[in-house]
Amino acid sequence: MKAALIGAGAIAKQHLSCLKTLPGVELAAVCDLSPATAEAAAERYGVRSWFTDHRVMLETARPDVVHVATPPTAHFRPALDSLDAGAHVIVEKPATPAFEQLETLVKRAKESGRCFVEDYNYLFNPAPQEILRRIESGEFGAVTHVEAFICLDILGPDGFADPNSPHPALALSGGAIADFLPHLASLAHLFVGACRGAETVWTKRKPSILPYDEFRALVNAERGTAMLGFSASSQPDAFWLRVYGERMQATANLWETRLTFDGPRNVPKPLRPFFSGLEEGKTIRRAALATLLRKFKGPGSYEGLWDLLARTYRALGDGSAPPVTANEVLEVNRMVEALKPKEQRA
Amino acid sequence: MRALVTGANGFLGRHVVAALLARGVEVRALVRPAARVDALGWPSSVDVFRADLRSSRDLGGAFAGVDVALHLAAVVSGGEDAQFAGTVAGTERLLEAMAASACRRLVLCSTFSVYDFSSTRGVLDEDSPLHKTPDVYARDGYTISKWWQERVTRRFAQEHGFDLTVLRPGFIWGRDHGYLAALGQQFGRHHLVIGPLTRMPMTHVENCADVFALAATDPRARGQTLNVVDGPGERIWTYLSDYMRGSGERGLRVPVPYWLAISAVRLAYATVFRSATKVPSVLIPRRLESRLKPLRFENRRLREILGWTPPLDYEQCLARTYGPEPAAAVESGDRGRDHPLLKLSNDQALRA
Repeated sequence: MKAALIGAGAIAKQHLSCLKTLPGVELAAVCDLSPATAEAAAERYGVRSWFTDHRVMLETARPDVVHVATPPTAHFRPALDSLDAGAHVIVEKPATPAFEQLETLVKRAKESGRCFVEDYNYLFNPAPQEILRRIESGEFGAVTHVEAFICLDILGPDGFADPNSPHPALALSGGAIADFLPHLASLAHLFVGACRGAETVWTKRKPSILPYDEFRALVNAERGTAMLGFSASSQPDAFWLRVYGERMQATANLWETRLTFDGPRNVPKPLRPFFSGLEEGKTIRRAALATLLRKFKGPGSYEGLWDLLARTYRALGDGSAPPVTANEVLEVNRMVEALKPKEQRA
Repeated sequence: MRALVTGANGFLGRHVVAALLARGVEVRALVRPAARVDALGWPSSVDVFRADLRSSRDLGGAFAGVDVALHLAAVVSGGEDAQFAGTVAGTERLLEAMAASACRRLVLCSTFSVYDFSSTRGVLDEDSPLHKTPDVYARDGYTISKWWQERVTRRFAQEHGFDLTVLRPGFIWGRDHGYLAALGQQFGRHHLVIGPLTRMPMTHVENCADVFALAATDPRARGQTLNVVDGPGERIWTYLSDYMRGSGERGLRVPVPYWLAISAVRLAYATVFRSATKVPSVLIPRRLESRLKPLRFENRRLREILGWTPPLDYEQCLARTYGPEPAAAVESGDRGRDHPLLKLSNDQALRA
């Protein structure tokens, strides 16, 4: 299967590194507006050819799968052209700034019988997958509520808040935080289903060029509720996921390997917190070591992206449903729409 | 003569602006939109052009009436991708604008990091081997982006007939930039000094800036690639002592022979870290070599082609770096009184 990538910047490294490890995948082409960026990616990852015009690339390399990793405001055209060229499309999140553009892409994919996958990498990290396994086995009980909260300092001058070169995400409704909404929404969707409505609070706590730096939302979803949030001021950096079931509760930090469960025990009720605490401590100590060792090897917290890509290529190979379906992409993005600041909703 | 200086408010750039002014060159200083230049004390004759090479749409105006461009801008912080995008893609955009202008003279600030220290024996000079692809991608983000920046620039120069001079400075030091990566490994305020008797390829920022101003104005520099070091360099132990004395920093210094350090790192790399993807630079043999390998460094070609000698000697550089009054320190020196750099007024030198 011939793979190509458009947009050889930051996240492209994870896509290309992963693709190199997948059996039966040929890295056929890479494309970037900067010739040096495209050529460097091709040299580094052994990609057969490089281009600066994605249309020329599609015509020349004729890829089976195209990864779109350009800035979010520049996803639509290359994704549409790739579908029109008969390729499956894996697009980085957020797929499009406007929901109507996403509907167009999904419709085009369905018409042409191609897959359209948006990168919800955190769904495929070990922690959400283990929680999902326990839910499916019945051990966890039905999920009543999920919380996903990102604490990340995005106010530094080198990233989203760069005063010299406006970050592309600032063009999104909600600004830099909008870049993270698909992560939050996809996790909420995984555990409690499609969005029925949402109440949101968008605020600005510190002076910067960002329109907002704090976000909270309460989502009423198909199978439960979700509390989603982002804080640029709360430290240390963390991506907390907490899932509440009828029999168990799970807590994970998706930027580490920490995952703990609390549930029923065969001990007298007054002793349950004591034994739960001991077990939680043991689990956290193990996770601390695993988090340290993970820094030396592998994709780190991008392991979910690698798993998502591996599953997607397996599905494309055997014709089964991809791990993220077009309908799921639509439902997650409907939730993202409900989360956007009301005065700016696209 | 009018010169365009990119990265003009950076550590080296502000000194290059001063050195050009001292030689009577008109300066257009390209700085980022949010950069604060008031504190630099540039005279009103300096034409400040605000743009960001990563994203500004109109860079063509920066070259209007310019005879020579000195390209110093690079992104040296942040992740590997940010450095590549800022340094390499930014250079592409700048040189596209230059190609569309009448300016054909270019001086590029490259670095010693483009040399493959691992393959070099004895003396490192302009004929020493450079990194090759794809091995270069195993290096740090700074090396990759600067290696690519020089590659891109040479291609543009060939394609568009630029008169190119590539200057490759060693470790640049000066006021507020006294600590150098060649000093070993820092643990808090304590130092593991690897190869304490090794001499470092170093150039004081004002001496380095003087070379840039000279290369921009001297036709003998055209088409040349020149290493920029002030001389054979100070020994690591000596310089670290001066740094600690000058900065008032206190801490332990533990000397380790280079051969012992590189052997230990090679062993650790071969047995533990070879397949690891995120390892501190000091634990990767080739990266350790590029910081600390004991080679001899010289500026013979710079002296022979441009007749350059550093206007400031080591003692004067120390005074400029750690002393209270840089201008006073220069004036008390015995050497180089007639050099253009030293003819700056006290006020100008202070600002520089």
